[in-house]
Amino acid sequence: MTAPREAPLEASSERVGRVAGLDHTSSQEFRVVLDEGAYLAVDDLVVVRTEVPGVGTLCTYGVVVESEATYEGAAYESDVHRISEHGLQPAAKVRSAQVAVTRVDPEVWVAPDPGQEVYRARGAERDRALYVDEMERPLPVGRGRDGEPVYVDLDFFDGTKGGHMSIAGVSGVATKTTFAFFFVRLLTGQPQIVGASAANLRVLVFNVKGEDLLWLDHPSTKFGPADAEAWRALGVEPTPFALSTPGATPGARAGSAPPRGAPTVAFWAPPRAHAGDALMPDVSGRQQGVAPFYWTPREFVDEELLQFVFTDASDARNQIPFVEERVRAQLRRWAVDVGGEPGAIVLRDPVGRTERGPAHVHRGERAIRELRGLADAIGEFLEPEDGGEPDYAWSGRVQAGTISAFMRRLHAAAGEARLGRLVRAGESRHIDRRAATVTVVAIQQLHDLAQRFVVGALLRETFREKEESGQRLPLSVLVLDELNKYAPRDGQSPLKEMLIDIAQRGRSLGVLMIGAQQSASRVAPDVLENASIRVTGRLDAAESDRAEYGWMLPSTKARARLLKPGTMVLGQPAVPVPIVLSFPRVPWATRAEEVRRDGEADPFRGLVP
Amino acid sequence: MARLYVEDWSPEYGAPFESDPDPLPSEVVVDTAVEVRGAWEPIPGRDDGVRLVAFVDGVQRLEARLTLDDPDSGPTPGICAAYAVGASVWDRDARASTVRGVAVGRVAIFGGGRSAPMPAVPGLHYATESVEGIDLPALASRLNTRRRQAETEAARALEAEGCFVVADGPINDLAPRNVVGYVKSHHHTYLAPPQSRVIGALRAGERTPLFLIPARQFQRYSWYMRLAEIPHGHSWSGIVRLEAAEALSRAEARTLADRTAALLPLAAMPLHLDARAPQNLVPIAALERELRRWLGDEGLVRRALKAAVNGLPAGATP
Repeated sequence: MTAPREAPLEASSERVGRVAGLDHTSSQEFRVVLDEGAYLAVDDLVVVRTEVPGVGTLCTYGVVVESEATYEGAAYESDVHRISEHGLQPAAKVRSAQVAVTRVDPEVWVAPDPGQEVYRARGAERDRALYVDEMERPLPVGRGRDGEPVYVDLDFFDGTKGGHMSIAGVSGVATKTTFAFFFVRLLTGQPQIVGASAANLRVLVFNVKGEDLLWLDHPSTKFGPADAEAWRALGVEPTPFALSTPGATPGARAGSAPPRGAPTVAFWAPPRAHAGDALMPDVSGRQQGVAPFYWTPREFVDEELLQFVFTDASDARNQIPFVEERVRAQLRRWAVDVGGEPGAIVLRDPVGRTERGPAHVHRGERAIRELRGLADAIGEFLEPEDGGEPDYAWSGRVQAGTISAFMRRLHAAAGEARLGRLVRAGESRHIDRRAATVTVVAIQQLHDLAQRFVVGALLRETFREKEESGQRLPLSVLVLDELNKYAPRDGQSPLKEMLIDIAQRGRSLGVLMIGAQQSASRVAPDVLENASIRVTGRLDAAESDRAEYGWMLPSTKARARLLKPGTMVLGQPAVPVPIVLSFPRVPWATRAEEVRRDGEADPFRGLVP
Repeated sequence: MARLYVEDWSPEYGAPFESDPDPLPSEVVVDTAVEVRGAWEPIPGRDDGVRLVAFVDGVQRLEARLTLDDPDSGPTPGICAAYAVGASVWDRDARASTVRGVAVGRVAIFGGGRSAPMPAVPGLHYATESVEGIDLPALASRLNTRRRQAETEAARALEAEGCFVVADGPINDLAPRNVVGYVKSHHHTYLAPPQSRVIGALRAGERTPLFLIPARQFQRYSWYMRLAEIPHGHSWSGIVRLEAAEALSRAEARTLADRTAALLPLAAMPLHLDARAPQNLVPIAALERELRRWLGDEGLVRRALKAAVNGLPAGATP
């Protein structure tokens, strides 16, 4: 091995080998033949200097995508025995690494010269390899394989230059939502980096399976000192979220008072079915700090929620949306508040109506106090009991079959087990998204239809608010697991259309989506394509071959099948290659079993005055 | 005045194959009683634990056919050739082999006793030589001689470093003591019945007793051994003959013979890997590949030669 000709680029850089010259190098990739005492592992970052005539010194930065070794001089596979067993055949062991170029500085795309010295990129060189020097607001989101931070350019998340995040990975490993919340927690914990976007940030999330997200305010038994250290290295004090559900007492949580400075969380759940007037949130794991929510018939009509009753893909094929649209408009015109019964309505012809304010229910009219009543009232216009013609002002001129399909579905949806329990008269129990930084809506107990209804209603509300205010800030972040359920690749539904709308316009309106799905290939492309930040956990082999993962290198795809929980692949517009990162365990419980109960040591004791 | 040309013919066209000068053995009467008096039996090999075994070999290549055009005496043929010699040294303790002592030589050989100065070829030095003959075998014979001399040099150097040397081909009278010559091809046997029958009876790792080849050229020890038992092979398949210097005592010669019979079967090439298996030993085959690499790229050399002979600047394509 000859001595390095040039001085190292930085004192911290270490020479690892030379650019291979047997095959062509290119501006996209090259190979490194390693020095005797050096190694390069996959994901390591390297830098090479090349003198380009007329340009000067060019720095080529790259990431190792494969590590290789061979016996030079072996002509047959079996030679390995002759070389290694008795040592009878001379051969040279050659170790090498394939490198994908991440950056050329200055931006003159010239291949590195063969034979040039290759250095491990450290410090400022590493930052340049990963474009950190060009990020306006680099947010550390984990550690690379070299133990150094990996950054997300926030400009590409919060709408400045791009927006949204898409997380994919097989289910069961539970990393998708965990990473989403890890990211949210970092957003709220680094105001000095996030800047104005951090102020009054609101996060809306739906808990759709298990009760995994209902423990964000509880310390986890799995969280250890090493994890805490990793969090601090990222610049955030690891604390669970602080409970801030309206009506809940902060001290009601097991353990101590909420840590100061921690972002707040509020839990909402639909009322239990068949519980009569008793308003019990429908969750099984925890009793405290969950507020019940529902919509009153008044809100149902005003917020035009009828459209989210018909979110099945088959609905769109049956002209049902046409009827639904007519009925929805009519409801808005006809609905009149009922005096003395908050939230209840009565339908009354606006033509010739003179009275203002709440009305008394006349004989022959019906007060609408829940969805079933509303369905019956609509039925009177669409399917009159005398068997007469439907009221065309309500139905439009559609075939009788369409009307009966509409009514059939409406009645089915109005059942208590489905949407029935979500709509009832009484004091407004509207989800207050301003109550806490993170609003968790627990809909895991609801029927699919009802889940889509709740998601649709809340997304619409969020989006409408921003549309009306016209202000990008404060930001609203939506965390949506199983995105393929709400925005499937095929078919039409009002929910899917809204998600596409959010994906396309949300960026400028400050509505940002963190979508998670097991397989990106089953999600509407319009939604995925608008996500600037892409994150992938372990992938199914067949899944990783799909075009949706084209941003990953072939070697990354191969490895995505083997990723462990806590390791993700990050793709972002600012960095042209995917970066593998690991993130620490989260300080909050992600399952009921992880909740640290009374009497156990509180890792935050002493940290909180 | 005479002018030099590089012919456009491929230099290997019509070239003789490498040949090992092997005197007609059938006409030689050998002394079969140097080790065993009386009836011969196969002798099993014995490994005396020698640490360094150097397999020495060389390769050669015709690089261009030259013509020296003299207005008075007409054209005279010549060749440009290269050879490389070296050794694959097997360190049995380290269980590793390394290629050592590689030497590359280049010669321009002119026939008819003529000679002409070779123009300087960048990076390649051709020593100019002259032979009396004018046909290609005569020119190639000189090349063979030069290569074998270089091999002998390499063998001597490695022997001086403490290696036991297995040299390709017969030994010559200058061979040092700890060197054996390894002869792959034999169309005749030095032995006559009844001793010759022992060859067919040899199993892998066994040798014949020593015999002495008398001083027609120079006296030397020799023995046959079987490298491998070849399925469906004839009685001589897998047989090689070895030679050692006569200067050795009988005991020393016996040690070398025992050692080869024990070690060389380990180096035998598996049948399916080489057309010359098993006689073309694994280290030799690897060494030859490496040595050919040391000769450089044939096309580049030829191009440089043409450019130099035609008086073009280096790197110009003629």
